[in-house]
Amino acid sequence: MAKIEANAADPVIDMAVISSHDALSLARKNLLQAIDTSRLQSFDKLYTAAQDPIGDNMAVGYTFYASSIVYRSDLVSIESWNDLLGEKLADNVALPNITGTQGPLTLMMLNKAEGGKPGEFSGTISAIGKHADDIVTFYSRSSELAQLMNQEEVIAAPVGRFAWSRFKSSPLPFAWAEPKEGQAGGMNVMIMTANNGNEDLAYKLMDYWLSTEVQTRIAEALIDSPANTEVKVSDEVAENLTYGAELINSLNILDPAVIIANRDVWVEQWNNEVIR
Amino acid sequence: MFLNRSEGFALALPAALFTCLVFLVPVGILLSAAFQAEPGVWSLQGYVDFFSQPLNQSVFLRTLKLGVLVAGTSAVIGYAAAFCIVNLPASSRGRIFGLVVLPLMISPVARTYAWIVILGRTGIVNDVIVGLGLSETPIRLLFTETAVFIGLLQLFLPLMIISLVSAMENIPQDVVPAARVLGASWFQVFFRVILPLTKEGLVIGGTLVFTGALTAYITPAILGGSKVLMLETLLYQKVNVSNDFVSASVIAMILIVMCFSANLVLKRIASVRS
Amino acid sequence: MSRLTIWLILGTTLTFLIGPFLIVIFAGASAGEALSFPPQGLSLKWYAKVFTVESFRASFALSMFLAIFGTLTALLIGIPAAYALNRYNLPGAEAIRTIVAAPIIVPGIIVGLALLRYFVVPLDVTITMALFVTHTALVLPYAVRVVSSSLNNLRADMEEAAVILGCTRFQAFVKVVLPNIRGGILAAFILGFVTSFNEVPASLFLSGPGVRTLPIDMLSYMEITFDPSVAALSALLAFMSVAIVFVAERLLGFSRYV
Repeated sequence: MAKIEANAADPVIDMAVISSHDALSLARKNLLQAIDTSRLQSFDKLYTAAQDPIGDNMAVGYTFYASSIVYRSDLVSIESWNDLLGEKLADNVALPNITGTQGPLTLMMLNKAEGGKPGEFSGTISAIGKHADDIVTFYSRSSELAQLMNQEEVIAAPVGRFAWSRFKSSPLPFAWAEPKEGQAGGMNVMIMTANNGNEDLAYKLMDYWLSTEVQTRIAEALIDSPANTEVKVSDEVAENLTYGAELINSLNILDPAVIIANRDVWVEQWNNEVIR
Repeated sequence: MFLNRSEGFALALPAALFTCLVFLVPVGILLSAAFQAEPGVWSLQGYVDFFSQPLNQSVFLRTLKLGVLVAGTSAVIGYAAAFCIVNLPASSRGRIFGLVVLPLMISPVARTYAWIVILGRTGIVNDVIVGLGLSETPIRLLFTETAVFIGLLQLFLPLMIISLVSAMENIPQDVVPAARVLGASWFQVFFRVILPLTKEGLVIGGTLVFTGALTAYITPAILGGSKVLMLETLLYQKVNVSNDFVSASVIAMILIVMCFSANLVLKRIASVRS
Repeated sequence: MSRLTIWLILGTTLTFLIGPFLIVIFAGASAGEALSFPPQGLSLKWYAKVFTVESFRASFALSMFLAIFGTLTALLIGIPAAYALNRYNLPGAEAIRTIVAAPIIVPGIIVGLALLRYFVVPLDVTITMALFVTHTALVLPYAVRVVSSSLNNLRADMEEAAVILGCTRFQAFVKVVLPNIRGGILAAFILGFVTSFNEVPASLFLSGPGVRTLPIDMLSYMEITFDPSVAALSALLAFMSVAIVFVAERLLGFSRYV
C-alpha cells in the first residue's frame, strides 16, 4: 500500500491483491481505476458478493475466507463467540490484534453475541479490556498463533480459515468451531492502479486468476478458497477451505466502509483499555 | 608522536567520512524528524502527542522500570559473582571468566529462544511447579513482564560481571582482609571498602546493562509480545504496523536521551558517594 | 568467605547464564515433533534438517559474507584511523574518535530505520549493499577501539627507529607495526565477526524478500514452524561461537580484548 501511494504519479505496481478495506481506502484516495468487467471472461461465474465488493467496480473478489474459533477439542468445547471471554478459557485464550484484518472480525462477532448494535464496538472493546488479564497475548499473524497453540500456550483463538491447514497437521487435536452466532467472513480482492499503462497485461492476469481452471488448481493446492462458483473440489480439499455457496452466503461480512470509518477510534480505545 | 598532520588526517579520513555518510547523516535526519510533527515545521508537538497517549506512557514507564530492575539486579548478582571470581585461584579464574564471557558470543536469538523452552507451559519450570504440586495446571509465564525481566537479565548480566571483575582486580589484595581483621563486618567491608573502590566499574557496567535492556529488541518481542510492549517493540510496531514515522522518531530520540541520562546519573551518583 | 559459599554463588550464576544453552542443545536433539524439554526421545534428525532448509543455507551464506567482508572492510579503514589517532597529534582527535564510536551508542533498531529511510530508499541501494554498509559501520567502532589499545601498548620509538634507519613510514608500518599488533587485529576481527553475525535490530528493517541474515531468518522461521530445528540451529551456532572463542583464547588470550 505504501508503494502504491508513494508512486501514485508513475505506478510501479499495476495490479495487486489486498483486503477489501485496504482496497476501499486506496479507491477513496483516487489511486485505483474501475475494472472493465466485460474484459473478464469468468466474471459472471463469481459469487455475487465478489463481483463488486467495494462499489463502482473498483475491485473484484478472488477469494473468501471464513473466520471462526480454532480450539483444543480435548480440553474445551466452543458454542458461542462469547466463550472467548468466558471462565473456561481464562488465561488460555489469544485474540487477534486490532491492527490486523482478523481483529475487527472478532469484534463484530463478540458484538453480535452480546446483542450489541451492529458496527458499534465500543462496548465490546471495553468488555475485552475488562478481561485483558485473562488473555495470553494479541497475535498479529496466523503463523504466530499456530506456534502458540502448538506450544500449548493457548487453547483457543479466532483465526481465518486460510490458516486451518497449519492446525490440522498438528499432532494436537484441534477443531474448528461452528458458534451459534455463525462464522465471520472476509474477502480478498484484485485491484488495478490508476494510469498504470499496463492495463492489457493486468486484465490478462486477472482473467487467468479468476478462471475456473486456475481457481480450482489454487484451491487444490490449499492456497486460497475459490470465488468462482464453478470450481468443484473433493470433500477432502473442501475440508480445508471456505467452500460452497451455502457456507459463503452464511458468512457475517463486515462492511469495509465501517472498518475504514472507525478503525482509528477502535485502535485508540483498544490501546487505552486493552493493551494499556 | 608524528607531526605530519595532513598525513594523519588522510589516514583517519576514510573511517570518519564513512561513518558520517552512512551513519550520522541518516540517523541525524531521522532524529530531526522527531521535532517536525509536520515536515518543515519545528516543534515539540510530536512529544506532546506521544506522551498524551496512556499506552505510550505505560510503555515508557515499563521500559524505564525494567531497565532499572535489570541493572539493579545484575549489580547485586554481579558484585557477588565478581567478588568470588577475583578470589579464585589464578588457574580456575580464567576458565570461570571465560564461561561468563561465553554467552556474549552466542546469538541473542538462541539465547532468547532458550527461555521459550524453559518458561513455556510445557517447559521445565512448569514441570517442576506442577510436579511439586504448587499448581494443578501449568501457569502462564511467557508474555509477562517477569519473562522479559529474566530474559534481559540473562542477556546482560555478563557485561556487569566483566566490568566489576576488572574494577575489583585493581583493589590491592590485602585491603579486604585488613578491614576484616580490624573488625569490620562484611556489610561494612562492602559499603566502606569495596563499593567506593569499584564505583567506576559499577558506572560502566550499569550503563551497559541499562542501555542494553532498553535497546534490546528480540527479548521483549519474543518473551513479551504485543501485551508487554517496550519502547523498542513499540517503535517497530509504529513503523511496520501503523506507518507512523513521527512517533518512531520520537521514540528513537527518547531512547537515546534515556541512555545518555543513565550514564550521567550513574556518574553523578558515583561522585556524590566519594 | 568459605570455598563452599564461593562455589555456590558461582554455580548458581553460571547455571543461570549457561544452563539455557544446555537445554536448547537437548531440546534440539528431540525425536518428537514439537519443542519440549526434556526431549521426547533422542534423535539427531532436527540437527540434520537444519542443513536441508533452503532459506537457512541462503541466509547463513549472507550472514557469513557480511560478517567476513564487513569486518575486513571495517579493519581496512579502521586500522589507518586507529594509527592516526594514536601516532599523530591530531587536533580534533577526540571528535574523530566520537564520530567513529557513534554506531555503538545508537540503538540498532534506529540505525536500521534511519538507513532504510534516508540511505537505502533515496539512493536506491540494494538490500545486500545496505546490509553490508550497515554491518561495516556497526563493526568499525570495535575495530578502531581494539586496534587502538594494541597500538597503545606498542612503543612508538620502534617505528621511529625504523624510519631513522631508512624505512619509509609505510614500510615501517608494514614491517614493524603490523606484525606487533597482529593479535589485536585478529581479536578485532573475531569481535567484529561475532557482532555482525549475531546482529538483529539494525538488520530487521533492512531485510527484503529472499535477502535475510541468519538471525532474522530464524525469527521468521519460528513464526511459521514450531519444530525443534530452530533449537538445533541455535545449538549449532552456539557451538560455532564457542569454538571460535576457544581457539582465539588459546591463540591470543582473547578475553583481555573484549
